[in-house]
Amino acid sequence: MGIKNKDIDLSVSLGSVKLKNPLITASGTCGYADELDDFMDINLLGGFITKSITLKPRLGNDVPRIVETDSGMLNAIGLANIGVEKFIQEKILMMARYKTPFFVNIAGQTIDEYVAVAEKLSQCPRIAGLELNISCPNVKQGGITFGTDPALVRQITTEVKKVVRDKILIVKLTPNVTDISVIARAAVDCGADALSLINTFTAMVIDIETKRPVLANRTGGLSGPAIKPIAVYLVNKVFNEVGKPAGVPIIGGGGIRTASDAIEFIIAGATAVTIGTAGFIYPDCAVKIMEGIKTYCLKHKISLAELIGSLK
Amino acid sequence: MSNSPTKKGIFNASVLQNRGLGDKFSRLSLELEKKAHIPFSNASAGQFIQIDVSNLALPDEKLIPGELSDSARRNILLRRPFSFADIDSSKNSTIVEILYCVLGPATLRMKTLRTTDIVNLIGPLGTGFTISEDKKLAILAAGGMGAPPLIHLAKVLKNRCPNTEIIAFVGAKTKIDLSFFDIKTDKLKIKSDVILGEFAKHNIKTVVSTDDGSVGFKGFVTETLADWLRKNKPDGKNAIIYTCGPEAMLSATAALSSEFKIPCQVSLERRMACGTGLCQSCAVKCRDKTSGGTLYKLCCKDGPVFWSDEVVWE
Ligand SMILES: Cc1cc2nc3c(=O)[nH]c(=O)nc-3n(C[C@H](O)[C@H](O)[C@H](O)COP(=O)(O)OP(=O)(O)OC[C@H]3O[C@@H](n4cnc5c(N)ncnc54)[C@H](O)[C@@H]3O)c2cc1C
Ligand SMILES: Cc1cc2nc3c(=O)[nH]c(=O)nc-3n(C[C@H](O)[C@H](O)[C@H](O)COP(=O)(O)O)c2cc1C
Ligand code: FES
Repeated sequence: MGIKNKDIDLSVSLGSVKLKNPLITASGTCGYADELDDFMDINLLGGFITKSITLKPRLGNDVPRIVETDSGMLNAIGLANIGVEKFIQEKILMMARYKTPFFVNIAGQTIDEYVAVAEKLSQCPRIAGLELNISCPNVKQGGITFGTDPALVRQITTEVKKVVRDKILIVKLTPNVTDISVIARAAVDCGADALSLINTFTAMVIDIETKRPVLANRTGGLSGPAIKPIAVYLVNKVFNEVGKPAGVPIIGGGGIRTASDAIEFIIAGATAVTIGTAGFIYPDCAVKIMEGIKTYCLKHKISLAELIGSLK
Repeated sequence: MSNSPTKKGIFNASVLQNRGLGDKFSRLSLELEKKAHIPFSNASAGQFIQIDVSNLALPDEKLIPGELSDSARRNILLRRPFSFADIDSSKNSTIVEILYCVLGPATLRMKTLRTTDIVNLIGPLGTGFTISEDKKLAILAAGGMGAPPLIHLAKVLKNRCPNTEIIAFVGAKTKIDLSFFDIKTDKLKIKSDVILGEFAKHNIKTVVSTDDGSVGFKGFVTETLADWLRKNKPDGKNAIIYTCGPEAMLSATAALSSEFKIPCQVSLERRMACGTGLCQSCAVKCRDKTSGGTLYKLCCKDGPVFWSDEVVWE
């Protein structure tokens, strides 16, 4: 018999880190991994990205923190997390049970905070890399101001890169900018080993009876299938204008729900893909998407490496 | 008894029955696929399931209530949470029943489910009610839509705690909002003597109130409960209150619980994206007993059932 799904090699590299397949969980959508245990074998994933971790624990925003929209949802969780100390004490050992490489997403209100978190995490041998969240739209003084200003992106990438040692540094971009390539270039120039895009779009839902925003935070980030075509476009733009010329891989995501969604991102230029919102509905969907990508490669007699950025 | 989270999973279920209870309410019986047996046989009252109804069609336009005709056209992305109203788990089959109220696009679509249709669900989710066999008295307090988990709990208590006396207080806006309980309204002679089938079948004494006085006492469920507590002064050490309903009612019940020193468990609702602890959308502000400050717990994982004195009521 010919080649089967299980013979297809889906391995990809993000800088020095090798993933056995391109499926990664999106930050903030998969807890600290153990929540997924009942639904799937985490070891089947190519990679795992944690919720954003900050220097001090954060309680997060008041409720409502989410609201459903047509084919999407808004969230304003407010970076609720246990803080870097507790994360290192309690979660790293737990996550080390898995063979899957994991990346820790970090956030902060000041550059010093980012650097302090990065410094602590870079001493943990089990972590494969850090993802710099300069794009969370929910925190008043943080996220958005870093990710929309190329000068700040240069500064923060440079400073964090100095302390990450052997870990790869992924910079996660916000789509809430006029030209995303300008920001991508700033990150790559200052040492980003990979780019991750996109984070959510700042958005609002209004309750017309009360004339108030539904979310306690007033605004939230739009994710889910509604943003997918924009995300595919932005991945392709950054691939052509920054990623490909500089040889820096892209982790693409935004609204991926099916294997064909993921394949679109890969054709557009993504080396790896993230699954976020879709996992809320089918927590095991990453595994199905992986099988679907294999089936596609088999049918089209194409390797994953050839597929990446193959847009005509 | 353990009420801790059991192993959960994603299962298909086929519809056994989807029966209307009055205009706004329905009872849906689902038979789950075989492999659901183990997780569901360990499930407890107060836990819930998340159902995917995103692919169901809308009912015929004529059947859509006027006030929902606009919002009905919204697409559905996320699953919807529903408490167990009953679980019947034997070796050969796992049957889960839910009671739902038609409020928007998802519940409207659920009305179209017919026998043998297949739906997908995740469960059992969350942490349910804590049951201790040594209680002499269990007080159930249900407000409006809060009925389903207490209907399930009533059955479980009857089976597991034969020495516990159970009394129920049920409140609703108006008569028809009691449909979840299988109310026999047409036979009513005296307004305050209301029979709710779901509790009557277990011989549970029930005090009914409606905001408009259409049946039972006129007033809030927390008022009839307060009157009863004042009159009967149960010993808090041997009693427990279980309650589910609108948050204002739960907070009033929590206040009664501390006034009369009777421990109380509340079942809360939050908007949920995942229902499985992944997204942190369902935060419930709680007291942090170690630091004295506050912290957020997750309604879908740590709850939906909480002790009333751990919740920070706002
Ligand atoms: C743990 C839990 C258990 C539940 N058990 C039951 C049950 O047994 N029976 C039942 O009928 N319903 C139950 N619900 C509520 C049920 O999930 C919602 O009514 C349903 O999701 C409505 O979906 P829809 O698309 O029809 O309407 P939507 O348009 O989504 O909602 C209708 C209205 O209800 C509000 N709403 C929806 N969900 C929530 C929420 N979680 N918290 C506060 N307001 C909300 C919306 O703002 C809107 O005004 C439960 C909810 C939770 C969190
Ligand atoms: C509930 C929720 C929480 C999120 N939390 C974070 C976070 O802490 N840090 C971060 O960088 N991105 C966060 N994101 C963004 C996702 O990682 C992802 O970039 C975005 O949702 C788009 O992908 P999707 O459409 O597949 O969900 C969050 C998204 C959601 C829906
Ligand atoms: S609903 Fe996602 S964590 Fe509770």
